[in-house]
Amino acid sequence: MRAMVIDDSRAMRMILKRIVTKLNFDAVEAGDGKEAIDLLADMPEVPDLALIDWNMPNMNGLEFVIHVRADPRLREMTLVMVTTESEQSQIVRALAAGAHEYVIKPFTEGAMIEKLALLGLVPTGANS
Amino acid sequence: MSVEVEVNEDDLAEMVGQVWESYLDPEGINPLIPTYDEHQPSEVHSSVSINGSWTGHLVYACSTLAARRAAAAFLAMEPDEVSEDDMSDVLGELANIVGGNVKAMLPPGALLSLPQVVLAPESSARYPNTERIGGVYGLWEDEPVSISMWHSRAENSEEDGA
Repeated sequence: MRAMVIDDSRAMRMILKRIVTKLNFDAVEAGDGKEAIDLLADMPEVPDLALIDWNMPNMNGLEFVIHVRADPRLREMTLVMVTTESEQSQIVRALAAGAHEYVIKPFTEGAMIEKLALLGLVPTGANS
Repeated sequence: MSVEVEVNEDDLAEMVGQVWESYLDPEGINPLIPTYDEHQPSEVHSSVSINGSWTGHLVYACSTLAARRAAAAFLAMEPDEVSEDDMSDVLGELANIVGGNVKAMLPPGALLSLPQVVLAPESSARYPNTERIGGVYGLWEDEPVSISMWHSRAENSEEDGA
Protein backbone atom coordinates (compact mmCIF):
# COMPACT_ATOMS: atom_id res chain seq x y z
CA MET A 1 0.00 0.00 0.00
CA ARG A 2 1.16 3.51 -0.77
CA ALA A 3 0.30 6.77 0.94
CA MET A 4 0.96 10.39 0.03
CA VAL A 5 1.32 12.91 2.85
CA ILE A 6 0.62 16.48 1.76
CA ASP A 7 1.33 19.25 4.26
CA ASP A 8 3.41 22.42 4.17
CA SER A 9 4.77 21.62 7.63
CA ARG A 10 7.67 19.18 7.51
CA ALA A 11 7.01 18.31 11.14
CA MET A 12 3.41 17.37 10.41
CA ARG A 13 4.51 15.34 7.39
CA MET A 14 6.93 13.48 9.66
CA ILE A 15 4.21 12.69 12.19
CA LEU A 16 1.82 11.44 9.52
CA LYS A 17 4.55 9.52 7.76
CA ARG A 18 5.47 7.76 11.01
CA ILE A 19 1.86 6.67 11.47
CA VAL A 20 1.30 5.32 7.96
CA THR A 21 4.73 3.69 7.86
CA LYS A 22 3.82 1.87 11.06
CA LEU A 23 0.77 0.59 9.17
CA ASN A 24 3.04 -0.74 6.42
CA PHE A 25 2.36 1.99 3.88
CA ASP A 26 5.16 3.22 1.66
CA ALA A 27 4.91 6.98 2.09
CA VAL A 28 5.82 9.86 -0.18
CA GLU A 29 5.66 13.52 0.85
CA ALA A 30 4.57 16.72 -0.83
CA GLY A 31 4.71 20.26 0.57
CA ASP A 32 1.54 21.51 -1.14
CA GLY A 33 -1.16 20.46 -3.56
CA LYS A 34 0.77 21.54 -6.63
CA GLU A 35 3.81 19.50 -5.68
CA ALA A 36 1.55 16.52 -4.99
CA ILE A 37 -0.03 16.75 -8.43
CA ASP A 38 3.38 16.98 -10.06
CA LEU A 39 4.52 13.90 -8.14
CA LEU A 40 1.36 11.98 -9.02
CA ALA A 41 1.87 12.73 -12.70
CA ASP A 42 5.22 10.94 -12.58
CA MET A 43 4.06 7.96 -10.52
CA PRO A 44 3.37 4.76 -12.40
CA GLU A 45 1.11 3.58 -9.56
CA VAL A 46 -1.41 5.85 -7.87
CA PRO A 47 -1.20 5.84 -4.04
CA ASP A 48 -4.04 4.17 -2.18
CA LEU A 49 -4.30 7.02 0.31
CA ALA A 50 -3.62 10.75 0.48
CA LEU A 51 -3.53 12.65 3.79
CA ILE A 52 -4.12 16.30 2.92
CA ASP A 53 -3.69 19.51 4.85
CA TRP A 54 -6.09 22.33 3.95
CA ASN A 55 -4.12 25.56 4.38
CA MET A 56 -1.06 25.38 2.16
CA PRO A 57 0.65 27.78 -0.22
CA ASN A 58 0.43 27.40 -4.03
CA MET A 59 -2.49 24.95 -4.02
CA ASN A 60 -4.55 24.26 -0.92
CA GLY A 61 -6.01 20.95 0.11
CA LEU A 62 -9.52 21.61 -1.12
CA GLU A 63 -8.22 22.57 -4.57
CA PHE A 64 -6.16 19.37 -4.57
CA VAL A 65 -9.24 17.27 -3.75
CA ILE A 66 -11.21 18.91 -6.55
CA HIS A 67 -8.35 18.30 -8.98
CA VAL A 68 -8.02 14.65 -8.00
CA ARG A 69 -11.73 14.00 -8.28
CA ALA A 70 -11.72 15.43 -11.81
CA ASP A 71 -8.96 13.03 -12.93
CA PRO A 72 -10.19 9.51 -13.77
CA ARG A 73 -6.69 8.09 -13.25
CA LEU A 74 -6.77 9.13 -9.59
CA ARG A 75 -10.34 8.03 -8.92
CA GLU A 76 -9.46 5.14 -6.61
CA MET A 77 -7.29 7.17 -4.24
CA THR A 78 -8.79 7.56 -0.76
CA LEU A 79 -8.62 11.19 0.32
CA VAL A 80 -8.43 12.20 4.00
CA MET A 81 -8.30 15.84 4.99
CA VAL A 82 -6.02 16.42 8.01
CA THR A 83 -6.46 20.00 9.03
CA THR A 84 -7.24 22.64 11.63
CA GLU A 85 -10.24 23.71 9.54
CA SER A 86 -12.82 22.27 11.88
CA GLU A 87 -15.91 24.32 11.14
CA GLN A 88 -18.84 22.19 10.02
CA SER A 89 -19.25 24.22 6.83
CA GLN A 90 -15.63 23.51 5.88
CA ILE A 91 -16.01 19.80 6.60
CA VAL A 92 -19.12 19.71 4.41
CA ARG A 93 -17.24 21.52 1.62
CA ALA A 94 -14.39 19.03 1.70
CA LEU A 95 -16.64 15.98 1.77
CA ALA A 96 -18.81 17.42 -1.00
CA ALA A 97 -15.70 17.97 -3.09
CA GLY A 98 -14.79 14.31 -2.73
CA ALA A 99 -12.82 13.80 0.45
CA HIS A 100 -13.64 10.49 2.16
CA GLU A 101 -12.76 11.40 5.73
CA TYR A 102 -11.80 14.35 7.86
CA VAL A 103 -9.32 14.46 10.74
CA ILE A 104 -8.99 17.61 12.81
CA LYS A 105 -5.62 18.72 14.18
CA PRO A 106 -4.49 18.13 16.83
CA PHE A 107 -4.98 14.38 16.56
CA THR A 108 -3.48 11.46 18.43
CA GLU A 109 -1.91 8.56 16.62
CA GLY A 110 -4.73 6.34 17.86
CA ALA A 111 -7.40 8.65 16.50
CA MET A 112 -5.75 8.74 13.10
CA ILE A 113 -5.45 4.95 12.97
CA GLU A 114 -9.11 4.62 13.95
CA LYS A 115 -10.12 6.87 11.05
CA LEU A 116 -8.03 4.86 8.61
CA ALA A 117 -9.49 1.65 10.01
CA LEU A 118 -12.98 2.97 9.31
CA LEU A 119 -11.87 3.37 5.71
CA GLY A 120 -10.66 -0.22 5.63
CA LEU A 121 -7.04 0.84 5.29
CA VAL A 122 -5.71 -0.69 8.51
CA PRO A 123 -5.42 -4.33 9.46
CA THR A 124 -7.76 -5.18 12.33
CA GLY A 125 -6.16 -4.58 15.72
CA ALA A 126 -3.41 -2.28 14.44
CA ASN A 127 -4.29 0.29 17.09
CA SER A 128 -4.14 -2.07 20.01
CA MET B 1 -19.40 43.71 10.81
CA SER B 2 -17.51 42.50 13.86
CA VAL B 3 -18.58 40.15 16.60
CA GLU B 4 -17.74 39.48 20.20
CA VAL B 5 -15.12 36.80 20.57
CA GLU B 6 -16.63 33.60 21.86
CA VAL B 7 -13.35 31.97 22.88
CA ASN B 8 -12.34 32.34 26.51
CA GLU B 9 -9.17 31.34 28.34
CA ASP B 10 -10.67 28.00 29.40
CA ASP B 11 -11.31 27.16 25.75
CA LEU B 12 -7.79 28.18 24.86
CA ALA B 13 -6.37 26.08 27.70
CA GLU B 14 -8.35 23.07 26.48
CA MET B 15 -7.00 23.47 22.95
CA VAL B 16 -3.47 23.82 24.25
CA GLY B 17 -3.97 20.73 26.39
CA GLN B 18 -4.97 18.77 23.29
CA VAL B 19 -1.80 19.89 21.51
CA TRP B 20 0.28 18.69 24.45
CA GLU B 21 -1.57 15.39 24.60
CA SER B 22 -1.24 14.82 20.86
CA TYR B 23 2.30 15.93 20.15
CA LEU B 24 4.35 17.42 22.97
CA ASP B 25 3.49 15.19 25.90
CA PRO B 26 1.65 12.08 24.71
CA GLU B 27 2.78 10.19 27.82
CA GLY B 28 1.26 12.82 30.08
CA ILE B 29 4.40 13.38 32.13
CA ASN B 30 5.45 16.91 31.10
CA PRO B 31 2.34 19.10 30.97
CA LEU B 32 2.36 22.86 30.63
CA ILE B 33 2.33 24.14 34.22
CA PRO B 34 0.28 27.37 34.46
CA THR B 35 2.05 30.50 35.71
CA TYR B 36 -0.71 32.98 34.83
CA ASP B 37 2.10 35.43 34.05
CA GLU B 38 1.39 37.22 30.78
CA HIS B 39 4.72 39.02 31.06
CA GLN B 40 6.92 35.94 31.13
CA PRO B 41 9.90 36.19 28.78
CA SER B 42 10.22 34.60 25.37
CA GLU B 43 12.96 34.26 22.78
CA VAL B 44 11.01 33.10 19.72
CA HIS B 45 7.40 33.35 18.58
CA SER B 46 4.98 32.47 15.83
CA SER B 47 1.57 33.79 14.91
CA VAL B 48 -1.42 33.34 12.66
CA SER B 49 -3.91 36.05 11.81
CA ILE B 50 -7.66 35.62 11.69
CA ASN B 51 -9.66 37.94 9.48
CA GLY B 52 -13.34 38.27 8.73
CA SER B 53 -16.13 37.91 11.25
CA TRP B 54 -13.45 38.39 13.91
CA THR B 55 -10.08 40.00 13.38
CA GLY B 56 -7.01 39.34 15.47
CA HIS B 57 -3.98 37.18 16.01
CA LEU B 58 -2.99 34.03 17.85
CA VAL B 59 0.59 34.16 19.12
CA TYR B 60 2.70 31.23 20.36
CA ALA B 61 5.82 32.39 22.20
CA CYS B 62 8.46 30.47 24.11
CA SER B 63 12.12 30.16 24.94
CA THR B 64 14.52 28.81 22.33
CA LEU B 65 14.96 25.67 24.39
CA ALA B 66 11.21 25.07 24.57
CA ALA B 67 11.00 25.53 20.78
CA ARG B 68 13.88 23.13 20.33
CA ARG B 69 12.20 20.54 22.56
CA ALA B 70 8.89 20.98 20.73
CA ALA B 71 10.59 20.42 17.38
CA ALA B 72 12.36 17.38 18.77
CA ALA B 73 9.04 15.95 19.96
CA PHE B 74 7.34 16.54 16.61
CA LEU B 75 10.24 15.24 14.56
CA ALA B 76 11.18 12.35 16.86
CA MET B 77 14.78 13.47 17.19
CA GLU B 78 17.08 14.64 19.94
CA PRO B 79 16.90 18.35 20.86
CA ASP B 80 20.54 18.90 19.89
CA GLU B 81 19.77 17.59 16.38
CA VAL B 82 17.10 20.24 15.79
CA SER B 83 17.93 22.98 13.27
CA GLU B 84 16.53 26.52 13.11
CA ASP B 85 14.41 25.44 10.15
CA ASP B 86 12.97 22.62 12.25
CA MET B 87 12.14 25.03 15.08
CA SER B 88 10.54 27.49 12.67
CA ASP B 89 8.46 24.79 11.04
CA VAL B 90 7.16 23.46 14.34
CA LEU B 91 6.54 26.92 15.82
CA GLY B 92 4.48 27.77 12.74
CA GLU B 93 2.52 24.55 12.95
CA LEU B 94 1.79 25.07 16.65
CA ALA B 95 0.35 28.53 15.97
CA ASN B 96 -1.57 27.09 13.01
CA ILE B 97 -3.11 24.28 15.05
CA VAL B 98 -4.22 26.44 17.97
CA GLY B 99 -5.27 29.29 15.68
CA GLY B 100 -7.30 26.97 13.51
CA ASN B 101 -9.15 25.63 16.51
CA VAL B 102 -9.79 29.15 17.78
CA LYS B 103 -11.19 30.08 14.38
CA ALA B 104 -13.53 27.10 14.52
CA MET B 105 -15.13 28.57 17.64
CA LEU B 106 -15.76 31.93 16.00
CA PRO B 107 -18.82 32.76 13.93
CA PRO B 108 -18.61 31.67 10.28
CA GLY B 109 -16.79 33.95 7.92
CA ALA B 110 -13.33 34.03 9.47
CA LEU B 111 -10.21 33.16 7.49
CA LEU B 112 -6.92 31.87 8.88
CA SER B 113 -3.60 33.08 7.48
CA LEU B 114 -0.54 30.95 6.93
CA PRO B 115 1.75 31.15 9.99
CA GLN B 116 4.55 33.63 10.50
CA VAL B 117 7.59 32.75 12.59
CA VAL B 118 10.11 35.13 14.13
CA LEU B 119 13.17 33.88 15.95
CA ALA B 120 13.03 36.85 18.30
CA PRO B 121 11.09 37.61 21.50
CA GLU B 122 7.37 38.23 21.36
CA SER B 123 8.07 41.62 22.92
CA SER B 124 9.72 42.66 19.65
CA ALA B 125 6.46 42.11 17.75
CA ARG B 126 3.92 44.84 17.14
CA TYR B 127 0.28 44.18 16.33
CA PRO B 128 -1.08 47.65 15.58
CA ASN B 129 -4.48 48.57 17.00
CA THR B 130 -4.85 45.33 18.89
CA GLU B 131 -5.14 44.35 22.51
CA ARG B 132 -4.34 41.10 24.25
CA ILE B 133 -7.65 39.57 25.30
CA GLY B 134 -6.43 36.40 26.92
CA GLY B 135 -3.88 33.68 26.97
CA VAL B 136 -2.39 30.57 28.47
CA TYR B 137 0.94 31.13 30.19
CA GLY B 138 3.06 28.42 31.66
CA LEU B 139 6.25 26.49 32.07
CA TRP B 140 6.99 23.39 30.07
CA GLU B 141 9.91 21.49 31.57
CA ASP B 142 10.82 24.76 33.35
CA GLU B 143 10.85 26.74 30.09
CA PRO B 144 8.35 29.55 29.40
CA VAL B 145 5.60 28.99 26.86
CA SER B 146 2.66 31.29 26.18
CA ILE B 147 -0.26 31.24 23.79
CA SER B 148 -2.15 34.50 23.57
CA MET B 149 -5.02 36.01 21.61
CA TRP B 150 -4.99 39.57 20.32
CA HIS B 151 -8.13 41.32 19.09
CA SER B 152 -8.27 44.22 16.68
CA ARG B 153 -9.04 47.38 18.63
CA ALA B 154 -10.51 48.95 15.49
CA GLU B 155 -13.19 46.27 15.58
CA ASN B 156 -13.84 46.96 19.23
CA SER B 157 -14.41 50.60 18.38
CA GLU B 158 -16.91 49.62 15.69
CA GLU B 159 -18.70 47.43 18.20
CA ASP B 160 -18.91 50.39 20.53
CA GLY B 161 -20.37 52.44 17.72
CA ALA B 162 -17.33 54.72 17.62
